[in-house]
Amino acid sequence: MIRARVVPTIILFGCMLVPIQIELDDATVESLQNQILDEIHKNDKIKAVIIDVSMLDIIDSYMSYTLSETAAMARLMGCRTIVCGIRPAVALTLAQMGVPLSEGIEVARDLEHALLLVGAPFLRG
Amino acid sequence: MKGMGSAAGNRLDELFDARDDYDIVVRVIREEDIVVARQMAKQMAQDAGFSLADTTKVATAVSELARNIYRYAREGKIFMRKTEEQGVSAIEIKAVDKGPGIEDIDLVLTKGYSTFERSLGIGLSGVKRLMDDFEIVSYVGKGTVVFLKMRSRKI
Repeated sequence: MIRARVVPTIILFGCMLVPIQIELDDATVESLQNQILDEIHKNDKIKAVIIDVSMLDIIDSYMSYTLSETAAMARLMGCRTIVCGIRPAVALTLAQMGVPLSEGIEVARDLEHALLLVGAPFLRG
Repeated sequence: MKGMGSAAGNRLDELFDARDDYDIVVRVIREEDIVVARQMAKQMAQDAGFSLADTTKVATAVSELARNIYRYAREGKIFMRKTEEQGVSAIEIKAVDKGPGIEDIDLVLTKGYSTFERSLGIGLSGVKRLMDDFEIVSYVGKGTVVFLKMRSRKI
């Protein structure tokens, strides 16, 4: 089955980088979840997924829910998921709403920090 | 506030078809309209001179309300306008639908409560926490109106 990729991904050192650079409507969020699981399934080198949300100026409760759910699904397939780059205004909004996005999912400051967390070999010096 | 009773249904029609002085009306019919609604809200908050944090709160609140309309009522409208009180700009939002209505408003404002399976149950209670003013009027079997107000904070 050929499915369009919602977000072009980059695979390096067993990490799948998912830089979200488009406005996500609900259907797109769901397609992205499918895409990530599909790519994990097809490439057994992938041991970690890093989702960069630094371009998103709004993350609402449904996007948060789907990100956490995706992380839980990836975990079942043996992959770690790290979300990085949450903007200050988004962090403030999610925290004030009481959205527990960081509970089921690892977070990092930026892509570099996320790569450090998964121990990308080229960063070990 | 709980609005019950059938006589009140007329008020809902009034609110739904209101052509009063709202600057923007977004009809929520398709799922993509959720994005349209939150972008309009963001634009309006920016135009009103809101800080980035407050702009994000307003846009996120509208996103939640638009999704609720789409999920539970299938269609509805979101009205937005800029106002000013004593030199402080504010945004007023009214989300109206003719969906099933809410039987127990206190229950839907409980964090974690949802009748939709893929949901955190945080939408409405989260919106209430984000906004300065929040009010729901709902008539079971007729529809729901949510009023929001957010004032600009000068830092």
